[in-house]
Amino acid sequence: MQDSIVKFENISMQFPGVLANDKVSFEIKKGEVFALVGENGAGKSTLMNILYGLNTPTDGNVYIKGEKIEKFKPIEAIKKGVGMVHQHFMLVPSFTVAQNIVMSKEPRKMKFFCDLKKAEREVKSLSEDYGLTVDPKATVGEISVGLQQRVEILKTLYRGADILILDEPTAVLTPQETNELFGVIRKIVKEKEMTIIIITHKLYEVMAISDRVGVMRQGRLVGVEETKNVNERTLASMMVGREVLFDEIEKTGQPGDVLIETNNLHVADNRGLMAVKGVSLSIRAGEILGIAAIEGNGQSELLEAITGMRSIVKGSFSIQGKEAMGKDPGQIRDMGLAHIPEDRIATGVAMPSTITENLIIGKERNREFAAKGIHLKNSSIVRYAQDLFEKFDLRGAGVETTVGSLSGGNMQKVVVAREFSLETPVLIIAQPTRGVDVGAIEFIHKQIIEKRNAGCAILLVSADLDEVFRLSDRIITMYEGKITGEFKSGEIDKSRISYYMTGARNESAGGGSDE
Amino acid sequence: MEHLMDVFNIGLLQNTLRTATPVILAAMGGLLTEQAGIMNIGMDGMILMGAFVAVAFSFTLSSAGMGVLMAVLVGIVIGLFFALFVVKLKSDEFIIGMALNTFAAGLTVYLLRSIFGVKGTFSNSDIVALPTIHMDFLDNIPVLGPLLNDNSLFVYLTWLLVFLTWVFLYRTPYGFWLRAAGEHPESLETAGVSPQKMKFTASILCGIFCGFAGAHLSLGYLTMFTEGMSSSRGFIAFACVIFGMANPPKVFVAALLFGFLDALGLRLQSVGVPSDLTSTIPYIATILMLIYVVVSSDKRKKKRASKQIKISENALE
Amino acid sequence: MNKITESFLKNRSYLLSLVLSILVALIIGGILMAVTGYNPFAAYGAMIKGVFGSLRVFGNTLAKMLTLCLTGLAMAICAKAGLFNVGGEGQLYFGGLAATMTGVCLQGAPPIIAVPLAFVSAAVVGGFYAWIPAVLKVKLRVSEVITTIMLNSVAIYVCTYLVNSNGPLATSDKGVLGGSDAVPEEFRFLHLISTSNLSTALIYSAVIAFLCWYLMQKTSIGLEMKVTGENERFSFFSGLPKDKLMIWSMVASGVICGLVGMFEVYGYQNRFQGTISNEFYYDGMLVAMIMNYNPIGIIIMSFFFAAIDIGAGAMEFSTGVAGEISDIIFAIIIFLMAAQNGILQAITKRTTQRKAREQMRKEGN
Repeated sequence: MQDSIVKFENISMQFPGVLANDKVSFEIKKGEVFALVGENGAGKSTLMNILYGLNTPTDGNVYIKGEKIEKFKPIEAIKKGVGMVHQHFMLVPSFTVAQNIVMSKEPRKMKFFCDLKKAEREVKSLSEDYGLTVDPKATVGEISVGLQQRVEILKTLYRGADILILDEPTAVLTPQETNELFGVIRKIVKEKEMTIIIITHKLYEVMAISDRVGVMRQGRLVGVEETKNVNERTLASMMVGREVLFDEIEKTGQPGDVLIETNNLHVADNRGLMAVKGVSLSIRAGEILGIAAIEGNGQSELLEAITGMRSIVKGSFSIQGKEAMGKDPGQIRDMGLAHIPEDRIATGVAMPSTITENLIIGKERNREFAAKGIHLKNSSIVRYAQDLFEKFDLRGAGVETTVGSLSGGNMQKVVVAREFSLETPVLIIAQPTRGVDVGAIEFIHKQIIEKRNAGCAILLVSADLDEVFRLSDRIITMYEGKITGEFKSGEIDKSRISYYMTGARNESAGGGSDE
Repeated sequence: MEHLMDVFNIGLLQNTLRTATPVILAAMGGLLTEQAGIMNIGMDGMILMGAFVAVAFSFTLSSAGMGVLMAVLVGIVIGLFFALFVVKLKSDEFIIGMALNTFAAGLTVYLLRSIFGVKGTFSNSDIVALPTIHMDFLDNIPVLGPLLNDNSLFVYLTWLLVFLTWVFLYRTPYGFWLRAAGEHPESLETAGVSPQKMKFTASILCGIFCGFAGAHLSLGYLTMFTEGMSSSRGFIAFACVIFGMANPPKVFVAALLFGFLDALGLRLQSVGVPSDLTSTIPYIATILMLIYVVVSSDKRKKKRASKQIKISENALE
Repeated sequence: MNKITESFLKNRSYLLSLVLSILVALIIGGILMAVTGYNPFAAYGAMIKGVFGSLRVFGNTLAKMLTLCLTGLAMAICAKAGLFNVGGEGQLYFGGLAATMTGVCLQGAPPIIAVPLAFVSAAVVGGFYAWIPAVLKVKLRVSEVITTIMLNSVAIYVCTYLVNSNGPLATSDKGVLGGSDAVPEEFRFLHLISTSNLSTALIYSAVIAFLCWYLMQKTSIGLEMKVTGENERFSFFSGLPKDKLMIWSMVASGVICGLVGMFEVYGYQNRFQGTISNEFYYDGMLVAMIMNYNPIGIIIMSFFFAAIDIGAGAMEFSTGVAGEISDIIFAIIIFLMAAQNGILQAITKRTTQRKAREQMRKEGN
């Protein structure tokens, strides 16, 4: 039938200590939507980075439109019509939409100067042509994530791409925005004869959008199938290499007293703009409250305020019935709170320090580990670390390894181990399994439920709706800093909740006000 | 009153232009590296090298032009060298910057002593100074005439360079790329331009600017070389870059402000204030300037937050 | 934990890089000498003789080592907590001046009272002069690198003004140009090797060095400092008193520098002069950077640097090569050590890729 447009031939990629791609060979046909699926670390992104010229493969060949690639550089790939929309957008926040789209191919005047007017005109006509409306003069840092993604797609189209790689394009989108994106994909495939490669780990999306699907596992290509011949279950077992059982973890016990309560909280973001606008919530012992919200709607600032890392402009909150306003993180931790931060690398660990050192922080002045609170007792510290190490199954490393050299999953386990071992009644958990492999996800989820069953009050924020649904007893939705709805888990499904995540309001919602 | 007149006169403004010039030049270089995402605290060493090379070649080749040219060439080499370590080998910018300062201080003194056989200051009538520029039509204009006339070449060149720097950064594609390389290098790379190359470019341009600054110091402002004659001007330029948020006109104003204070110190000496004390003025002023930047931006943020609360409260009512 | 923090001494690649860097730097220094018309072999020979030639010069080397070691530790202690105190020079000046004036004013008092008071004044003044930029950094986020450099210049000018002829603190002693009154004989430190600069400051320095090492490597506070320096946000998140840790580590750094100023005067300079320090702190700072702020490493490396520095003086005296060659050699060592990781990575990346490729080819065929 159709011609092959991209061909991978025995691609291998060796990173220090990791074989990211192992003799991968397959073809992508012109005009199809090809989905590439696999767990974190399966080698999907590495393979696509090779196609886009960001990595040079250790071995093997890539052919684009029949031509063998000699030099692996983005500029070469762009010339051959390859465009890539990365998971983390490749946009300069302080530049305008037009500047970002034309970057490196700016229309010139008098040879040396950039003709911004012309750039804006071109961007406008391009966006109208493809039905991707954007304002060319808007500053990229100030537009929504969905629009930023449009800018990214337009950037590739401006360069004349006819092979478009989308790396986890829906991770930051609402279900509505996802549907819109899929609409755009269908349209450009049909009308402009483009070829789309979409990297994802959401299997229902594979079923919804792709013509064919390739499954990767541990750097190898497990198989390529026509999408109509497979289902989510078969794909899942291909990805993990065994039959996957999505167990329900048993929840026990009844909710107890309210352990943490906020009242009309107002919190500003780094720029001084109000990010949280009057949030009131309370969580009881033995209860998990999940916050479902699209990134950037105030949930991060809310957590930072509750944990003492960000000052509160207005409102109040209390922990175990005691006022906690105006306290620093140390004082709030002393009131009985532990915190798994959303960004473990920036906040959760000291990378150059060892696992032991990272595990002991928070307890380093305990008499158990330091004579008179000062002189460190090495043997008891190492013993303690070793215990946690085994309990949390930190495979493949010693306690003296630096945290910076750990995989995402193991690093997250270090954070979870430290925070959970503080035995606090209140837990604030953000993105517990972001960038973590399936085995570790299972493990971390079990730990969280165990804490709940033991009577902790838990606030959970996650960009992964599945995770929120799986763990929470109650779910609230947030939009632009306000609570837009509150639901008992089981009362609502994913498609309906996304409605509230984009601004619709539930009558029973607590706090906030209508504009 | 008489004292006041001695201090605040046309000479003060003339001195302002002259003392500010090397700082402006270095600061223009510093803002380019800053925009490209490199913290450059090695400018002091770069200026020092420029000053030495300019004097050395002006003396041996009896040409101020050759002195400047060689200072620029050496500036390019140092810029390349700095970028090689910081960009290519990913070394710590702070350490490399400080080491560069030590290296320049050591090398200039070593060469001064082993080539010219002098310690401390090298001053010789064979060193050709940069020309001063006289424009006849300015003669009859009061204040502006004496202020704008008879300055060293670089004083005028500097104003032009500030403008060119601004045009480069905000009107040309290369300027866009350079800024992108600092703000979000990955986006530049995926657009097919190497951010490393832009960082190298910024570093080399900074070397050139510092070469100019050094040449002006030793051939324009004075006509001699003194050990450590950059006297922390590289650091002051760095402070001006931060103060002006790496924006050429703002940095220019900050550097002028520094020049004014420096000149004020010189003037105060003429009314009997000890020179050691007046010399501290620019350094203290730099610290105060930095504090001011932080405090004022904090205030702005707080204002914005309280305004928003008011808006949301009004909406409630 | 100490196994890890001290393991770099066992870390062969680090040591190898260090030795290679030193060799390369010495070779480049030699080439520079040759180009400028000197015989590098004679010069280096004079250098070695200048260090080990006699008990007196060896004493001078040790005295220099103490200065470098203490200033290096002063840099390390705040760098560990994430602050760069480039202002040790200014703290040294003011600390030295304070101790000197304390001694001068207490003339006639029993040494058992006067000398401790001099210690206290040097420490307090040095610490206070470091506290200013520390607070500006921690509370207002004003870059401490710039403020400390600016404060250096301020301190040097102010001190020079104070003790210069006609300055308020200038001595009336004849034949002294620019200096304070001399510290009374009975307050000064005893010389351990006569006519050399080595004094009982050795003992005080050893105590300070031990305390620094103990604090940084063996205590909970040291661990907290280290973690704060590595990731300030993590420290804040974990509830550590990061502001206090940062400010006090900087103050500690200033205290040490102030004491170094005192040791200079009480050890051998006898009176405070505008030339009390010839950028001693910068040299110490470079030592600390090369050794990655490891206290033991700093102590060892400061001997090497002291030897080159003192040796360069002797070399200048006997062969005429300008002593500043030592600064050039130091700087080159630092360039190479700072680039060490980058160079190593470039090499290993290339070799692993090549090996992997060969391996795959073999399997393929």
